Amino acid sequence: MKKPEKETFGAVSRRTFIKGLGATAITTVAAQTAAVAQELEKANAEKVVGPGAVPVSLTVNGEKLQLQLEPRVTLLDALRNYSSLTGSKEGCDRAACGACTVLFDGAPIYSCQKLAIEAQGHEITTVEGLAKNGTLSKVQQAFIDKDALQCGYCTPGFVMSVTALLNKNPRPTLEEAKHACSGNLCRCGTHPHVIKAIFEAAGISVADKTKVIKYG
Amino acid sequence: MNTFQYATALSPDSARQLAGDHGAYIAGGNDLLGLLKDYLVSPDILVNIKSLPGLDTIQQGQDKWTLGALVKIAELEDSIDIQSVFPGIRDAASEIASPQIRNVATVGGNLAQHSRCWYFRHRDTVCLKKGGDLCYARESDNRYHCLFTGNTCISPVVSSLATTFAALDATAIVLRDGKETPMSMDALYHRAWENPLAHNSLEPGDLIVRVDIPTARSRSAYMQVSDKHAFDWALVSCAAAANIVGGKLDKPRVAVGSISPVPHQVEAANEFLDGKTLDDDTASQAADMILKDAKPLQQNAYKVPMAHALIRRTLLKLKG
Amino acid sequence: MAEWPTNRKYISGNVKRVDAAPKVTGKARYSSDIQANGWLYGMILRSKWPAAKILSVNLDKALKVPGIKAAVVARDGQFTVRYYGEEIAAVAGSSKQACLDALRAIEVNAQPSAGFVVHEDDGLKQDSPQVWEGTPNAGDPHVRNRGDMDSAFSECAAVIEGFYTSPVQIHNPMETHGNTVSWTDEGVTAWASTQGIGSVQDGFSGALGVDRSKVRVITDYMGGGFGSKFGPGVEGLLAAQLSKKAGAPVRLMLTRFDEALAVGNRPSSFQKIKMGALADGKLHAFQFENYGTAGIGAGADRGGGGGGVNIPAPYLYKVTNIHASQRGVAVNAGSARAFRAPGNPPASFGMECAMDDLAVKLGMDPVQFRLINDPVEIRRNEYKVGAAAIGWKDKYKKPGSSPGVVKTGIGCAGANWGGGRGSPDTQGEAQINPDGSIEIRIGVQDIGTGTKTVIAVVAAEMLGLKPEQITVKVGDTNFPPGPGSGGSATCASVSPVTFDICSNALQQLQSKSGIADARGDNWFAACKSLGVTPLKVTGQWQESLAGGPAYGVQFAEVEVDTETGLVTVKKIVAVHDCGLIIDRLTLESQINGGCIIGMGYALYEERVMDRVSGVVLNPNFETYKLSGIADVPEIEAILINMPERGVIGIGEPATIPTAGAIANAVANAIGVRVPNLPITPAKVLAALGKVPPITA
Repeated sequence: MKKPEKETFGAVSRRTFIKGLGATAITTVAAQTAAVAQELEKANAEKVVGPGAVPVSLTVNGEKLQLQLEPRVTLLDALRNYSSLTGSKEGCDRAACGACTVLFDGAPIYSCQKLAIEAQGHEITTVEGLAKNGTLSKVQQAFIDKDALQCGYCTPGFVMSVTALLNKNPRPTLEEAKHACSGNLCRCGTHPHVIKAIFEAAGISVADKTKVIKYG
Repeated sequence: MNTFQYATALSPDSARQLAGDHGAYIAGGNDLLGLLKDYLVSPDILVNIKSLPGLDTIQQGQDKWTLGALVKIAELEDSIDIQSVFPGIRDAASEIASPQIRNVATVGGNLAQHSRCWYFRHRDTVCLKKGGDLCYARESDNRYHCLFTGNTCISPVVSSLATTFAALDATAIVLRDGKETPMSMDALYHRAWENPLAHNSLEPGDLIVRVDIPTARSRSAYMQVSDKHAFDWALVSCAAAANIVGGKLDKPRVAVGSISPVPHQVEAANEFLDGKTLDDDTASQAADMILKDAKPLQQNAYKVPMAHALIRRTLLKLKG
Repeated sequence: MAEWPTNRKYISGNVKRVDAAPKVTGKARYSSDIQANGWLYGMILRSKWPAAKILSVNLDKALKVPGIKAAVVARDGQFTVRYYGEEIAAVAGSSKQACLDALRAIEVNAQPSAGFVVHEDDGLKQDSPQVWEGTPNAGDPHVRNRGDMDSAFSECAAVIEGFYTSPVQIHNPMETHGNTVSWTDEGVTAWASTQGIGSVQDGFSGALGVDRSKVRVITDYMGGGFGSKFGPGVEGLLAAQLSKKAGAPVRLMLTRFDEALAVGNRPSSFQKIKMGALADGKLHAFQFENYGTAGIGAGADRGGGGGGVNIPAPYLYKVTNIHASQRGVAVNAGSARAFRAPGNPPASFGMECAMDDLAVKLGMDPVQFRLINDPVEIRRNEYKVGAAAIGWKDKYKKPGSSPGVVKTGIGCAGANWGGGRGSPDTQGEAQINPDGSIEIRIGVQDIGTGTKTVIAVVAAEMLGLKPEQITVKVGDTNFPPGPGSGGSATCASVSPVTFDICSNALQQLQSKSGIADARGDNWFAACKSLGVTPLKVTGQWQESLAGGPAYGVQFAEVEVDTETGLVTVKKIVAVHDCGLIIDRLTLESQINGGCIIGMGYALYEERVMDRVSGVVLNPNFETYKLSGIADVPEIEAILINMPERGVIGIGEPATIPTAGAIANAVANAIGVRVPNLPITPAKVLAALGKVPPITA
């Protein structure tokens, strides 16, 4: 399978671009990734690339991935098949199930419906990037505590959507929680436990309705 | 997908030039990538229009507001100002697709999206809209299809924003051959009414740049019904806009989506409602007029009572 | 005779899933994640004809596509395809893009058949095109008779007739079918997305002519199966052939599109039920005619294929006089496969709808009617518990009598699952090290039900350790053989084996160390006595620790908007006898999962075939609709802990009665029966008489 290659000539890369900005600009730039993306696009603009493979530089979980990809390769494909980041899953490849959800400058998107070439200059966060120094995020721990997973295939996608929800809205209502996860499908039926995990991570206690009774 | 070249345009002119005869613009890319993956379109180049300047803002104005074509659906949903001035737009936006799609999808893309008819979308049925001989839906499963049409194709417009913009009497500004061409929602979809091959009235090279929305109607509402409670195409949708002055409707407009290739509006119904007190009875009569000439097919007749209910409810929602 | 301990610390408690961390961090590697050294991407070309003779398949151009390393045909020479989506050829290459291009370069010379048939009603017609040449599409009916129907009906105080139908349902697990396969001269290694590593091993061995000892199947994690993932599948065999040709491992996973076409489904049902009861409420006459399709797997001498068309009838209830006749009808569509409680959800749906319709006609409360007729005491008890939990006494009203536009209603249905007993062939082994660490190995797979966790819980209980201290390894045919994950028998298979492993371990440790009780605090001292040699023990299945069958009843509360037709499920109460509960947390997940699939069956799911083109019209999640989080109601699970019954199953019982309960709740709400699943707004409006006649 394709191995990530060293950064090559051709398109202006983020690193080259930032280098050119000078030291003081870097800290400001680091905080304004959208602006960088735009500037980067301008630097590369109007240049026709492809259809063969071209250098594509992706920032994933804070690290640089230098890949050689055809323009038609999706971000999901790049993660799963051109790098070792298989945490994001392919459930449908048609922007309908959410198993491929990643954060794109903090906002959840379907990585299967985003071209890798268009993900350059943006901050991509995958499920592999949530735990810090081996410590699970609040959301990840809540999923474990409330058994918000079964086969686990939809789980990375749900975890990303819930992470984004709580980043934006730390104390959601039930409606808001459902609304935020409406783009994630699950066949095993973890939905009730996902709701429990959301409230657990948000620090909102919810009564446990399950009853265990004796026969008779 | 087939292969394609890719370039980012910095001006509408260069976008047009880069696209050439066989290219496509890519904004959010949600509809386009779906079409590419099923080989329904095969542009030789994708021209990224997300860097075109000045198209991604919401401009507030006295007589009208302007939505740049690159404004994301998520921005419409989150905007407190939109919620307060055009609540119908906010309601429509919040029900479009899913959060993940709303975060990349644009106003322009939502208007320009292609048919969702399952025969059109299927890789192995060459239907009328794809240049084939047969409208499969007419012969076979038409549960999601039109109650009204001016041609053989019965694929309805599904853009929630189109329906809402129609009720607000908004105008899309389309850059065509370098000239800004205003189009009402009716004009924007009129070609689909007449021509089975068309999804809308856009021609190759056309670029939607913005939508101008008059502030003339201070109230607006949107509702839809789907099989599921979220992330499901509307079976029928409805938008209404008006003022209520002295308890009476002023400048009312109603539009219904997913039942016609264009947002379905009946001028006689709007005229009937103008100056009337908004209640169950007037709303119901308006609904009757809007649906009067509906032609149900074998599987979609349920859309008539469904649309009737939605029209009544959307109008009554204007009361607040 | 082995017995479960009576004082339990972990068993029946809330132990967190032991493999949750890898799943929430993305570290878990599924078959579709395997990146074996030098791996290639594989893809299948499928028939776009519903019925055709494939005259020739030319792979030359495909092989020339840059990046392609191998290409094979699905079958040699000329062959017949009998459904849209049947396999024709496959390619392997260094990227998905290369494979996509290669598929389009394969030249297929096909002679479409004169006709094809995709709908059951069409398949039954005398002049229907035949799916299998020379064989009628419809098999001879299976008939069951008892008593005299005519006199029986004349004796009834009330009789109802109904025609209840349910659609073909697609499994659609979140991870599609497929494998990463490496076939070299040394043998076959397959990372399979499977419910049965043994079945995959058998399948590869048999089809490829490789000795079983040289076929290793590994399933660390898999993304759901629901009955459809046994055996290597055509896709597995194609991947193996590609691997052999290319000299590299091939990862061949199906697309979501493929899932709707070719890897199984639940057969449809078209149930004509005429049922009567005596004045005292006792069921007296049951006349039943059912047909349905299992795709090309149904029909005259097909026996219905895996998960066949015939369903248990009369379901649950004893009826004095019976005439039941059922047959499968073949159509040009993918063959059925077992789908979570095969035959039972449609059986429960039809029967329970008929029960409610008859109860209404008799003027009798539906729960009361069931209590009179249900022969199973456990289930009668469950109805009483569930009725109390949902507030049946207060909420049950005359059908259609709730005021307003949005009407509320409640309904119930029951389940009977004869499976759930363990598999006696299950074996396991463990290695206990001098440092006290223990690794248990069983050749079973965890398909998301929590099998690994169950093993850890039992071992922890038996050894007086914590579940985190038990290392559980499953999913490898190198381990002692475990059961396939089906029949709701897995927990009842692995729990007794784990018990036995632990018993044997304790016995040997106690004897070696001289410590009378090696559990808990004494464990590490006892293990130290092993010196430098780890202890290896095995375990067998113990019949006294497992049991069956499993029952269960569910109640549903719905709201129906009588103007738009939209059905909203407000609450489900699921009452299930659980034998000895091993782990409450994962058990609850299983019940939720069963209810949610059942709800999808009731309201959203159906495979739609196109009569004109013969294609599957909804091979995607856009128009094949799964229950979403906004649709899922509050689910209240009431678990009846009956440890004296030993370990039984839950996966299938939990999905059987949901659709019947929802359908009955809808009928109660609107006062009229919608007898066809899925109950869409369109069908509700039609049942309410609101849909105008067709004019176009």
